[in-house]
Amino acid sequence: MKDRIQTEMTLYEKLEILSDAAKYDVACTSSGVDRKGDGTGMGNCSRAGICHSFSADGRCISLLKILFTNECIYDCRYCVNRSSNDVVRTSFTPDEVCTLTMEFYRRNYIEGLFLSSGVLKSPDYTMELLYATLYRLRHVCNFQGYIHVKAIPGADQRLIQMTGYLADRMSVNMELPTAEGLRLLAPHKSRENILAPMRFVQEKSRENRQEIALYRSAPRFVPAGQSTQMIIGATPETDYQILNVAEALYKKFDLKRVFYSAFVPVNRDLALPDLTGKGPPLLREHRLYQADWLLRFYHFEAAELLDEKNPNFNVLLDPKCCWALNHLEVFPVEINRADYRLLLRVPGIGCKSASRIVKARRMGSLGFEDLKKMGVVLKRALYFITCSGRMMYRTKLEQDYITRNLLNTKERLPEGADGMTYRQLSLFDDAGGIPAGGDVK
Amino acid sequence: MKQIYICSDTITGIYSALYDAWKENRDKEAGIELRGKTQQQLFCEYTVVEENGEKAFQLERMVKRYLGYNAYWDIYHALLSDDEQKGEAVFRTMQEARKIQDSRRIMDHLGNPDVAKVFQLSRSVSNEAHLYQEFIRFRELEGGLLFSEISPKAQVLTCIAEHFADRFPLENWMIYDKTHQVFLVHREREKWRLVWGQELDKQAAARISKEEKEYETLWKGFFDSIAIQERKNDRLQKTHLPLRYRAEMTEFSD
Repeated sequence: MKDRIQTEMTLYEKLEILSDAAKYDVACTSSGVDRKGDGTGMGNCSRAGICHSFSADGRCISLLKILFTNECIYDCRYCVNRSSNDVVRTSFTPDEVCTLTMEFYRRNYIEGLFLSSGVLKSPDYTMELLYATLYRLRHVCNFQGYIHVKAIPGADQRLIQMTGYLADRMSVNMELPTAEGLRLLAPHKSRENILAPMRFVQEKSRENRQEIALYRSAPRFVPAGQSTQMIIGATPETDYQILNVAEALYKKFDLKRVFYSAFVPVNRDLALPDLTGKGPPLLREHRLYQADWLLRFYHFEAAELLDEKNPNFNVLLDPKCCWALNHLEVFPVEINRADYRLLLRVPGIGCKSASRIVKARRMGSLGFEDLKKMGVVLKRALYFITCSGRMMYRTKLEQDYITRNLLNTKERLPEGADGMTYRQLSLFDDAGGIPAGGDVK
Repeated sequence: MKQIYICSDTITGIYSALYDAWKENRDKEAGIELRGKTQQQLFCEYTVVEENGEKAFQLERMVKRYLGYNAYWDIYHALLSDDEQKGEAVFRTMQEARKIQDSRRIMDHLGNPDVAKVFQLSRSVSNEAHLYQEFIRFRELEGGLLFSEISPKAQVLTCIAEHFADRFPLENWMIYDKTHQVFLVHREREKWRLVWGQELDKQAAARISKEEKEYETLWKGFFDSIAIQERKNDRLQKTHLPLRYRAEMTEFSD
């Protein structure tokens, strides 16, 4: 039966089914590695990543994002491809994936391949297919563009290792933030099972860095690092729990990125929350990305942003403003003296403007006009800073007063109701006007 | 009397004009205007510049030596823009550079309106070039040639050439800039070059290869199925992918 379906299905139908099934995976970035073509094949990579198109939901399309197969032996309740769902099943062949990737790449449709998969027969069997595909793509088609591949939890480590040498980025999905959530919604997956390959990839990357230090021509293992993603809102975790998990992943597993994906109900299941009439929790996802940015670039710790008593982000104010309002004792900050890290904590000052301030003040003391030119968002920063001892206007350093004023200055939420942007970091992003901590990419 | 140099809107042209202007009038006011876009002013003397590669080369070397590579990069990109006063802005920027202590830091002097203009032009040109790296779509013609047409505001071809040459070294490909009627041509295993003054053979450009339609259909199918309906957001899509690029993109054509 299965074979019959596969032989009759056209490539178009397969692509439709297997890209549709992959669309909930968020990580479509092609960033993290710079590689010139060597003149013998096709492709190169650019560190900042390149988007090639934007789909109707405004998310960037950088990679050919597909599942190898949507057959799956697991029965995760949130997933379209759970084994108990009656959906049309199909698989690519390694050859088909290679042809699609090469032909799309030649036409400049895509930046590379994002290959994920359901679990066909067993984790090992699936991982072997992924490896075979990547091997063919790299060594037969001579493809030098970007490849992001999923490591299948439970697969043999040697398979994961061999695949890692062919890919630029590898990821294992956390799926849900807590072990409890996993038990509930993904009964065939366990926390240990997911963390094991993650740890393995981390250790291999460390070893590989040493090898490269010794022999420059040593093959590279997952040069763009590993990432993961969590579904937000399918289980009752608080933002505090989620952020703590993310922080632990960054610190203990050297992850490059943690992605958050607002839960979109695709199955009817009693164990899943009922979202009828509400739509996916996009604002919550946005707040988590803001906080994620604070962890990675602004030297914040999860415990500073939230705690047991306030376990969820404020709907009205971004996490950085909230932190500032609760720590008024730190402010006002003197622009001409405060060190870089303290400047970063001021709402309205981002990484770029903070480093511009530090450079520019060597030449002479700075005033509010100068700050404006450097891209500081004064309408937010003015309550928290002084220039040469003066504040911009007479303001009160009071929580209520500032909160009221900040709420009046409209936060620049990403375009759309409260959707969020998925644009990749780009070298040419406009420097000015990025609200601190408010820009999520 | 103010001297105004008239040149063609090409890098060689403007470099030659800058070369002459610098030689004869570096301490005075001088204007640089583009052929066909001049505005007659009173009390000015007009000269048509004799353009050649040697002058352009000399000027390039001088700018790189005295203003540094980064300033050269900005100047070069600014001169590719569609602004009519770009040549003059660069000329005055070069004059300004002589006045400051360290000429190599000229691009930090954003307080000067000419420097600020060069900076802003350079940024907008390199932004546009970057977007074309993303949004250019090739179609395969008979014989395997990859062909693309674009209508950029600035003359971005030289900014994107290296990127695609590195990416597709073994392919024959060609990008046609409809706005400025220039071709960027790359032959398999060779260096890319620009070709001016040729007409586009529209019929040849329409003869696509046998498989081309199939891959276009596959790509459009992928483009549609990858979007999450529950998150549909036209405005966000428009911000990232402005409408003016879409006319030449496979996934937006019917």
